[in-house]
Amino acid sequence: MGGRKLLMRVWHTAFVLWAVITILFLMFRLMPGTPLDAYLDSSLTPEEQEQILAQFGLDQPLWKQYLIYWANLFQGNLGKSFHYRQDVFWLLMAAFPNTLALTMFSLIIAYVFGVLAGAFLAWKRGTWIEGIGIPIVLTSRAAPEFWLGMVFLAMFSFSLGWFPSGGANSPGAEFPSELSRMLSADFFRHLALPALTLALYLQGLPLLLMRSNMLEVMQEDFVTMARMKGLSEWSIVMRHAARNALLPVATAFALGIGSSVGGNVVVETVFSWPGLGRLLVSAVSAADYPVAQGAFLLIAVVQVVMNLVADILYAVLDPRVTHTAHG
Amino acid sequence: MTGISRRYILKAGTALGAVGLLSGLPGIASAQQAGDRIRKIVLVARPQAADTQAYQAAELIVQAWRQLGLDIEIRAMPRPQQSELVWFNRDRWDMTMWQMVGRPERSDPDELVFNLFHSSVAARGYNFVGYVNPEYDRLAEQQRLETDEEKRRTIIRQAQEIIARDQPYFFLVFPKWTLAYDSRVWDPASIVDQKGIGIRNTWTFIQARPVGSQQDMILNTNEEVRRMNPLYISGATDSWMTELIWDRLMRIDKDGRPVPWAAESVRWVNPTRIECVIREGMKWHDGRPVTMEDIVFSFTAPALEEEVGGRRVQRSPNYKPFVENIKEVKATGPRTITFDLKEPQSPFLTSTLAKINLIPKHVWQPILDGLKGKPETVEQVQEERPIGSGPFKYVRWRTREEVVLERNPEHWAAPKMNRWILRIVPNQEATLGMLRRGELNFLGAYRGDPEVLVEMGKELSHIRVVSTTDMGFQFVAPNLRRKPFDDPAFRRALSTAINRTQMAQAAWNGFADPANSHVSNALPFWFNESTNWIGGDMAEARRILEQAGYRNIRGRLHYPAGVREPHGG
Repeated sequence: MGGRKLLMRVWHTAFVLWAVITILFLMFRLMPGTPLDAYLDSSLTPEEQEQILAQFGLDQPLWKQYLIYWANLFQGNLGKSFHYRQDVFWLLMAAFPNTLALTMFSLIIAYVFGVLAGAFLAWKRGTWIEGIGIPIVLTSRAAPEFWLGMVFLAMFSFSLGWFPSGGANSPGAEFPSELSRMLSADFFRHLALPALTLALYLQGLPLLLMRSNMLEVMQEDFVTMARMKGLSEWSIVMRHAARNALLPVATAFALGIGSSVGGNVVVETVFSWPGLGRLLVSAVSAADYPVAQGAFLLIAVVQVVMNLVADILYAVLDPRVTHTAHG
Repeated sequence: MTGISRRYILKAGTALGAVGLLSGLPGIASAQQAGDRIRKIVLVARPQAADTQAYQAAELIVQAWRQLGLDIEIRAMPRPQQSELVWFNRDRWDMTMWQMVGRPERSDPDELVFNLFHSSVAARGYNFVGYVNPEYDRLAEQQRLETDEEKRRTIIRQAQEIIARDQPYFFLVFPKWTLAYDSRVWDPASIVDQKGIGIRNTWTFIQARPVGSQQDMILNTNEEVRRMNPLYISGATDSWMTELIWDRLMRIDKDGRPVPWAAESVRWVNPTRIECVIREGMKWHDGRPVTMEDIVFSFTAPALEEEVGGRRVQRSPNYKPFVENIKEVKATGPRTITFDLKEPQSPFLTSTLAKINLIPKHVWQPILDGLKGKPETVEQVQEERPIGSGPFKYVRWRTREEVVLERNPEHWAAPKMNRWILRIVPNQEATLGMLRRGELNFLGAYRGDPEVLVEMGKELSHIRVVSTTDMGFQFVAPNLRRKPFDDPAFRRALSTAINRTQMAQAAWNGFADPANSHVSNALPFWFNESTNWIGGDMAEARRILEQAGYRNIRGRLHYPAGVREPHGG
């Protein structure tokens, strides 16, 4: 990747982030409802209401709020939650590791399975296995997550009792540190069902992508060449075709990290998973601008960075793609 | 001001209309006698998915009112939008579904009796329907000043009668809370059913006795925990913890009346002076003794305010109203605290002594000092390890997952359980699954169909289900600033058309009592039974409308003669 082109890419990324931040800033302030609604039940006097607005800078004109927001952002200050009265940064940091664990775990399951099954189905093209396999994949991909989650809960938790019904750890479980909590067997036992639900939802993309890439690659000259050399069919599929078909899947994986970090709301709610999605939903419904902005910002940053990573990854993995000025 | 004067003119107008009707030929309605056609009325409600019961109730009500000839539609709105409209645009809506929730401090009727209907809070406070009635105002003020309980009771009952007559709200039901617990873990005799609150209450948490090896109470909430701060009222669930970690001079007893708690005794010396004798040997969770200075500080700290940059900044805006009437609080003996009030305030025991958390000065004075010169409240503060003197000690809080408290063995009312573990579970079905599987042994919050719970109790004998009438209530709020709702007769007619028994059955599945008062029947001492009323009499509703001059012409309701529709046709 050429230096100039890379610089352009980074510049694009920065522009996208600026646009996202500005839209986020405006979006929450133009939505109906004010953060004061959250206080309706505590009989505030008008003076108290004004004090609260002033305290969060909401009595300032919009342009001033915007400048203050940027000034704070450059100092790494995401503001304080209206609702929790806590630094947004720490609220995000409490939720992010759980979301990341759930996302990564389910993505890995989905992509390992998807790649293998996709290659397999491509290999079995035109057989009854494909005839059954593809509809199953499509059905599981199209099933609503909350429904799938509830079915898993009813089966593996309520009836069979193999897994707990929610949360990220057993009630009252003690751990010496955050790391030991996330590496404990208890954590993984709680992670299993939500990760499986999410993985089932995510596996369709890599599977179908892998399969169609494989079918394409299998037509290429070098595969015909390998066949002529008398290599075994398995060796052709796995060593020659699959490696080449994997490229777009790797890109999809990087993009998948970006898009699933914020997209776990449903799974997190069904399984009471203490992640970013739930934080985001409660922040939006309570008109808690700083938290919602912060959460969206974090999601946007992950997504935009992962886009950049995908681009770079693609260039590294596929020598045909270069980022020099004129291709 | 203009609102009030306009109201009086309108009132006079309706009275004249009635007189005019009496002198005319009764029973003969003609188009010439009628005023404008009443515009299409909009009833705001939360979406069906957000509040199924209230939405179903709204549908039943609308059906009944259409039979009277009212053109009306339901408009569903998410909560923030509904609040924005109803609370901050007070002259721009017709009717809305609304509710008041039960809280321990509402066991004293003052908050609802005064704040809901006193004219002083009509512009921006709780009286969002805009009810203005000098007769009612007088009673609402009087009951505050009357420290003789029996006399005060008479006033409160009168106030309820006025509301029943004027119908500023169309009360629907007092809902019942249905909760449950696992009797394999908890001795049923030790579970306390608090009036108007239910089995999830501080007394249960203190007294619940484990029968087996499980010594931890594992209960759920469906709300995120926001804060554990003794100077900030942050949310319903948060208050469960606040009540356990921090002591108060009094607590609301099982029957809804205040009883001494950290105080050994509480005595009215005269209508503006109260004397409390404090218990001996109390300790903060960090081991330091609770001093008289700490207790005085607990009542002065919430009142603190400071001028910062030309603006008055209150340090604890949530709690300030509860200490505002205190002229002076001081230690008048080694164990005696005396409160001098600015004016007599009968609900003081409930609204202040049973409300204000006792906080250690050595923790909060430095925090308050740190705020000097800053435009901030103390509400932002979250202690790393909250320190109170209450029956439970703070152990841990993982956001969106759980809060763990443990018993304080040194407390005079030390809990029987070992730990109190609150799980945050947003998923209703998972909550039930957890209770069934024993992952939860106490259902702390449940918003689903109570029938499902009752069924579970029948199927599994160890799941004990308990229903308790709430001191909160559900109602339709008409906007009294707007025609035709400014006319009490019109309101009475609409309210008469609502069948509350049918509603409790159909919308609340029988888990509700019919309501016609802002004081719940869960508070038998204050509740006025004479307000009991089912409604549902369509013929009577038509008669009231007829008598007040409203005319039903070709199926559409019209104003009395001479009355124009001010809000467009």
